[in-house]
Amino acid sequence: MNWRDIKAITAKSTLEIVLVLTCIILSVTAPHFLSIENLLNVLRSVSVQGLLAFGMTMVIIAGEIDLSVASSVALAGCLVAYLTQAGIPLALGIPMTVLTGASFGVFTGVVRVKWEVPSFISTLALYLSLKGLALLITGGFPIASFPDWYHILGGGYVLGVPFPALIFLAVFAAIAFVMKRTVFGQAVYAVGGNAEAARLSGINVAFVRIMVFAITGALAAVSGIMLSARIMSGTPTVAVGWELDAIAAVIVGGTSFAGGIGTVWGTLVGVVFIGVIINGMTLLDVSSSHQFVMRGMLIFAAVWLNRLQEKRK
Amino acid sequence: MNPGSMAEPPPLETLGLCKQYPGVRALKDVSISFRAGEVHALIGKNGAGKSTLVKILTGAVQPASGTVAMAGVPVAFPSPRAALRRGIAAVHQELSLVPELTVAENVFLGHPPTKWAGLAVDAQKTTHMAADLLAEMGLHLSVTRKARELGVAEQQVVEIAKAMSRHPKALLLDEPTSALAREEVDGLFALIRRLAGQGVVILYITHRLQELQQIADRISVLRNGELAAQFTGDEASAERIAQAMFGEFMPVRVGPPETVTDEVILETRNLQTETGVRDASLTLRRGEILGIAGLLGSGRTELLRAIAGVDFVSGGDITVAGRVIKRVSLATMRKAGVVLVPEDRQAEGLVPALSVGDNICLASLRSNACGGVILRKRRAEAIARSVRELAIGTTDVDAPVSSLSGGNQQKVVIAGRLNARPQVVLFDEPTRGIDVQAKQQIFDILRHLSREGIGSALVSSELEELLEVCHRIAIMRGGRIEDEVIPAGTSPRALLERCMRIEKAAPLGKDTVNELA
Repeated sequence: MNWRDIKAITAKSTLEIVLVLTCIILSVTAPHFLSIENLLNVLRSVSVQGLLAFGMTMVIIAGEIDLSVASSVALAGCLVAYLTQAGIPLALGIPMTVLTGASFGVFTGVVRVKWEVPSFISTLALYLSLKGLALLITGGFPIASFPDWYHILGGGYVLGVPFPALIFLAVFAAIAFVMKRTVFGQAVYAVGGNAEAARLSGINVAFVRIMVFAITGALAAVSGIMLSARIMSGTPTVAVGWELDAIAAVIVGGTSFAGGIGTVWGTLVGVVFIGVIINGMTLLDVSSSHQFVMRGMLIFAAVWLNRLQEKRK
Repeated sequence: MNPGSMAEPPPLETLGLCKQYPGVRALKDVSISFRAGEVHALIGKNGAGKSTLVKILTGAVQPASGTVAMAGVPVAFPSPRAALRRGIAAVHQELSLVPELTVAENVFLGHPPTKWAGLAVDAQKTTHMAADLLAEMGLHLSVTRKARELGVAEQQVVEIAKAMSRHPKALLLDEPTSALAREEVDGLFALIRRLAGQGVVILYITHRLQELQQIADRISVLRNGELAAQFTGDEASAERIAQAMFGEFMPVRVGPPETVTDEVILETRNLQTETGVRDASLTLRRGEILGIAGLLGSGRTELLRAIAGVDFVSGGDITVAGRVIKRVSLATMRKAGVVLVPEDRQAEGLVPALSVGDNICLASLRSNACGGVILRKRRAEAIARSVRELAIGTTDVDAPVSSLSGGNQQKVVIAGRLNARPQVVLFDEPTRGIDVQAKQQIFDILRHLSREGIGSALVSSELEELLEVCHRIAIMRGGRIEDEVIPAGTSPRALLERCMRIEKAAPLGKDTVNELA
């Protein structure tokens, strides 16, 4: 390997390298950072929220945006709690909730495709409505109707690994595969890169747009179910601001806001990176106010780095 | 050309310009002097260094060595603004008017006359100044119309007015005629002549070599980044230009292969669209290359788009291989084996962010997949085959498609369509803005398709091209197919006359053109 190869690899994997360096620094400076327990804790804390980022990656690569996901998360938790309270077994209630989440995505997609309402606007509207819906079905208070075993979905461990982390990694693998290796994934890139060229190439642009929102809606519901399992109640006021955190992770992961460019792997690294930073700052006793400032600067730095690289090309 | 004389130094000259890009020598020791009042054409194949020279002159890139001098004084253009301030204005190929602003507002965009100590745009003054400027340029165009209401030719003229509003010493025109019909070109040339007459240096960049004798006073030919030749417009014979550009002989006129069968593969009857196709009926046989000629606005592009199922067909029917297509749509026409190579490859043909290989596979994603999962090996083979067969000039199929030259990008679009295994390929202006060599390669592809028994329809504004490559040429006027000619024994001039027989001027930019002619 000569100097140019090394340079090429560093240019291509800047974020990965920064992540590793951060981990090395934290393992020296932060007490207990480098313990299996803490690392699993990082994974568990990012996984519920991180699911959204994978869906968001598809949406942003397709040239769209989904601001409704956080409300979807809250609503899904409330809905599954509500259904349980109404006597519907969880084996039925969970799939129903996921389907409901997907159907909100389909709605956004259809509105986008049929009436050409920009997704920024329609999902902004949906964000408010779903939030309201969550408050309505709960009456504004948490519904604690779950059986004890339900907690496994949010806080349990399988073979020593947190259950949400398993789901998180499985979803990562599935979506990475879809985006990289399937006809559908290629079509998502094409639609985001140039929708008209994709249409004239015979790609079903409408289907692609509807599907990315549907998948994102379903993932938001899964995330909401796991969150409700962690806190053991359907609470309408959770997940505030998660949509923006998801977007931040996607952007830090190198996905272009203009559409057509980005990887699911990048988003995984972005999610983990932000998780590690937050964890490290907590271990180092940085106040939460400082943490917010740092996270903001982190996004700036990541996007700036991306720009630099693009320019060099 | 007499650099040693006592004459005053030229208003603009380049002295020993050099520029390197990684792996490419874009310019090497280029010295050209431009005289006041001359139309100086700059030609060369794609990659010959034209665009680099243009970028240096407009301040978009910096030369590695060498200087630009104005009136004998070396100048540096660290930015496009700096070049503009020094009096070098450019009109680029892509029209960039703001659609919601008026002609006057567009003309003075970025430097409007102001009132209240510079706090507000003086709308009245803008209108007056724009009207004065247009009148000075010999144009009669309402300055209060919005840019979005203008035709392409009018927009082009407004772009030039916009450049002239800066009172430039040199005006750089990049392929100004590429979107114009013949008679609109004449109008534009008259305007360019008048501007040159006012003492402005006109730098004229073009791929349309047949324009040179008509418009250029002097011609500089770039080849491999060097100044290969320089001659006057009168000396510019086709052979001489081609030789300077290629350093070898002009490609010979081949003509279409003898491959036309009797079997009709595509037939349209009384096709109607809301985009302006009226009662268009045509037949295309297996192995035939059918040219479609007509002035801009005659409905050529619209006809192809209708047949491909891109635009809504409101009447008439389309038959492919003997079967009437029930519901014409992109999907049904694709299924029937009809594909379109669209007119605007950047906007409609390619996904710039994706790689060369991705774009080659774009129109045939399913053919390299099983159950929706891409078979990487089969895909790689398909890409390699396309690159080989269409002679796509790329060393890395994973590089972004936007890194290719125009001709190679066009081949990528065509490759994508061919991978869908079509029966009929509709080509809309496939050679626009690409160099002579790439053009010949596109023609070779057409001939190859013809031998394979595929029917091709070819729309082109370059009548010589149609005469060279087609078996038969249908002529459109006002949305109808009105006439038909056989290329053998037909001259471009005769073909043009038949295109114009009824409509004397195209609807776009009529008033401008009449005024100019």
